[in-house]
Formats: sequence, C-alpha cells, structure tokens
Amino acid sequence: MNWIYKGKCWKFGDNLGIDGDVMPLRFALERELDPEVLKPYLMAGVDPDFPNKVSPGDIIVAGKRFGQGNPHIQGFLGILGHGLGLVAETIPRGSFRNAINAGLPFLTGCEGVSGDVETGDDLEINFETGEFANLTRDITRQFQPLDPQLQAIIEAGGWRANLEKRIAKLRSGDAATA
Amino acid sequence: MGKTITEKILSRVTGNDVSAGDIIYPEPELLTVHDWYVVNFDKALQELGVEQLYDPDILVISTDHEPVAVSPQAAERQKQVREIVKKYGITHFYDTGRGGHGHVFPVEMGFVKPGMFVEAYDVHVTNFGAVGALAIPVLIEVTEVLACGSVWLRTPDTVRVNLTGALSPGTSIRDVAQKLICDLGAARVDYSVVEFGGPALASIDIAGRHTLCNTPIDVGVKSALIEPDQSTLDYLAGRVDGLIELIASDPDAVFREVIDYDLDVMEPQIAVPPTPDCVVGVSEVAGRPVHHAFIGSCAAANLSDLQAAAEILRGHKIHPDVRFLITPGTQEIMAAAEDEGLLRLFAEAGAMITQPGCGPCAGGRIGGMANGETSINTGTRNDYGRLGAPEAEIYLGSAATVMASAVTGKITDPRDFLN
Repeated sequence: MNWIYKGKCWKFGDNLGIDGDVMPLRFALERELDPEVLKPYLMAGVDPDFPNKVSPGDIIVAGKRFGQGNPHIQGFLGILGHGLGLVAETIPRGSFRNAINAGLPFLTGCEGVSGDVETGDDLEINFETGEFANLTRDITRQFQPLDPQLQAIIEAGGWRANLEKRIAKLRSGDAATA
Repeated sequence: MGKTITEKILSRVTGNDVSAGDIIYPEPELLTVHDWYVVNFDKALQELGVEQLYDPDILVISTDHEPVAVSPQAAERQKQVREIVKKYGITHFYDTGRGGHGHVFPVEMGFVKPGMFVEAYDVHVTNFGAVGALAIPVLIEVTEVLACGSVWLRTPDTVRVNLTGALSPGTSIRDVAQKLICDLGAARVDYSVVEFGGPALASIDIAGRHTLCNTPIDVGVKSALIEPDQSTLDYLAGRVDGLIELIASDPDAVFREVIDYDLDVMEPQIAVPPTPDCVVGVSEVAGRPVHHAFIGSCAAANLSDLQAAAEILRGHKIHPDVRFLITPGTQEIMAAAEDEGLLRLFAEAGAMITQPGCGPCAGGRIGGMANGETSINTGTRNDYGRLGAPEAEIYLGSAATVMASAVTGKITDPRDFLN
C-alpha cells in the first residue's frame, strides 16, 4: 500500500468527539460499517460541508484527544472512505484501537503539530516512517510511526481483513502470528 | 531494568523480554465468555469459515447473565449455546445451576493461578486479579483469540497502590474500592494495570480482593491485580493442582505512579448516578427513598457480603415499599449460605433469592426497575438504563449499606444498625 500522503491540510482543534463531531451517533447505533455510506457525514458536527471539500490524499490534523468519547469505529471508517490520512496530537486508547481496526493510516503522539499547520497548507506525510513535512511553511518533523505490527494490520485493510489473513495462514500450517 | 508483575507475566507467555508500550500477541492461558456472547462469536466464526477453535481447552463458558430463561427467546438462546458448546468440543461449560458467576467461580474452582494470563469477552474479568492473575477484557475481538489464539495488546504500564491503615468500623472493602476509583480518577490510571500491595493487604480476604480488582475497570484501567501473598496460597491450597508460585514486581520496576492509600475511608461510600466513580459519603444522600435493592454482581457476591447483610438484617424485615433481591455469586456460595442459615434469614425477612450469576446487574433482565424508581444495590454500574428503565436512579454501596437501606426504605448508614 501507499503510505505517503500528499495533499491539503484540514486543521481541527482539541477534543473532537467521535460521536457527534466526527460522525453522527446514529450510525454507531445502527452498526453501519460501510465507508461509502458513512463518508457523506464525516465531520457533520463541526463542518457539514467537509465531505464536499476534501480530496483523497488530504490530511486531517487534529489536536488533543481526537475521537474522545465512547469508542465507536464509524468516524474512522468515514475518514477512510474519503482516502484521508490523520495526524493527531493525541488519540484516546479506545479510538486508537478503532483507528487501527478500521485500517486507517495515522500518526498520533504528534505533540505541537497543531502549531505547525493551517487549513489549506500543502502537506506530505509518510505514515510508515513518521516523516512530516509542511511544504507551504517549509517545516519538517520526525514523529513516532506506529509499531510495525500495527502497520501490518492497516496494510491488510483493518481488523477483519487482517483476521482473515491470519486464519488463512493458520490453515496453511504456518502458526506464526500476524 | 526491573519488571512489574504485568511485564513479567507477558514476558513469560510471549517468550520475549516485554516492557510497557510494546505491541505483543500474547496467548491467554484461560479465556472466558458468558452466555450473552456465545451465539455472537459462533456467528462471527461461521462468517470467517472457522470450524475449530485454536484451543478449546482454555475456554470457560458460563451461563450467568440470564441463568433462568424468562422468555421463549432466552430459552432458545440457551439451547443454541448448548449446541455451540458441543459443536466446538468445549469441555469447561458451566451451564445454569453448575458454576454461577463467570468472574467468581473460576477462582473458586482453581482455574485461576497467580501469574496467569487470562483474556475474556467481558470487562469485569479483572476480578481474577484477586489471586494475582492478569486478566484483560478484549470484547468482540475475542473472536480473534478463539480463532487464532491471540489478539494484539499494547503492554500496559502499572500504577502501584500500597494499601495502608485499617478499615473504620461499619465500613468494608467495597467502600474503599468505590472511593479509590473516585480519588484516582480516569486520567491518572487510563490504560494502566492497578497493582495492589502494601502493609494492609494481609488484612483483606480473597472476597475483598475480588472487589478491589472489580471497580477500577470502570475508570478505564486495562486491568487490576493483587500482589499474591500467603493468603493467596492458603486460599488456593486444595483448589489448584500442582505447584503455585508467587509473583511480585521487582524493586527497580518502573511504575507510572506509586500511591499510598489508607483503608480508613471514614464513612460508608455511595456511588451516585450516573457513573460508579461519582462517589460521596453516605451522609450526603441518606434519607432518599428507595423502591428496589439487591445484593449480588461480580463486585459483591461472596459469602462475606451475605454475612455482612445478615448481620444488619437479623431481627428486621425488608421495608414494605422495597423489593429486595439477593444473588449469591456461585452455587458454592449459595450452599455455604444455606449451611449458615442465611438463606432462611433472607427468605423470612421478605427477600427474593435468585439463581447464582450476575443477578439484576446484567441489564435488569432479572428483577429490573421501572421509570421513576430508585435502587440501591451492590452492582458494578449505575448508568441510566443499567437495570432496564432509562429513567430509574441507581445508587451503589456495600452489602451492609444496601441491606440497611432495604430495611428502612431509604438510603441508610449501616452503622445505625451496628451501634
């Protein structure tokens, strides 16, 4: 898969709730898991026009506690549906697990990144290595990439796809994990 | 560098040198799933084309959430569970009337040992920390553990809590366990394992240790466990086969924080709506009328809870405006309560005694509430809707506080009965 995203920055603040801000709660209650169904509602709580403005390869840059609240996966599937990447200062652990399980390329623990960008800046992010560049402002940062074992789950296409891969591997007699 | 109990357990089961923060795929040595998720995991496995479990011998299934089928749908589900158990060749199946609460009887029956690594569908499996096991809930990802033997885990760090002092009269470990999660707060212990030790630990029996390991999960810890000691060995003797080894954190282990916590919490503690960590002293809410009360759940279903309640109840009756349920945690506890004459005492006072298991705490399917009612009970959670009705108020307290309140018909300080 392509880990390098080159696109526009969409900057958001701290404490975006996964339910309500990032995705209407009703989709979590309906257990909707289709990114195509979810993508028109991405960021409905903070910018209802957002889905019409973004292009694949664009990057959401969020502040602290992105995706806070009751951990539901739908918001991350909405981001995935648009082909966007995510860079956040922090992501609470329930949402961290959901972002992995959704198969979304992201970086977290990127302290101070909100100060490095404005919406509309041209960014280039390598989600495999953690290299971050704001081409508009000529800023580069080296962030901690995800553990390679978690990248493997994202590369497989998320939890379900990775599980299918593990099961196939077990069947073929290879007992190695992941 | 030294290791915490958690790091030692995870290093052993993975065969690697594991430290907090590491991403690992540890294989649990014991896995538990309750009656409300068996049909779901079977469906998930069928969709994935999985026909056999990675290791059916580590799996314990308990019928505890709805042991008495009270609807045709529940009876149908129980039938399906029995068929699924046969299909996968699961031998450790504790159907209704056999084990009891799946977070309690496996400890009683010797399935759980110090230093063991356990995973489960349900969150309050952290009870197994009572004997020094590391038990981590994985929710729906239990499907992956059933099919492949493991699921990824970010190795948690540890908050060490050294217990000091002694209980003040009329209070119990439940009061301490409730106040502790309120005092710690979610941010301080998020994703950590709470490890209990310290000079006062020796004064706390295994039942109290269940309760201490039960409440922290509700403020977002990864797990909770007790540093096992001589009491652990004494309790497990005759329950567990083979050699039992104690395990402790190294003196130079790295903790997120080390906290001293005094068992003297001054007065009985009450969790008020809407979450279990909203905790106040009983004096702040005493006098509030209650309609519903129960003693039970994985937080308080041991013989000592029934004994504490009996001490209050003797010579009294349940208040006419209150319906009161008591759910012994396991078949063994129920039998022991019978031996001590407790079941007769409860029955004669006007209590409903239910089949061992979760009791009303499992969503109020058994003995639930109506809108506008108030309950005080020993359950694990007090969210609106926990006992069925969305507009019912739920207060949580110790067995003694609940019993005193059921007798007077209002939230009551149990020390009023003991003086």
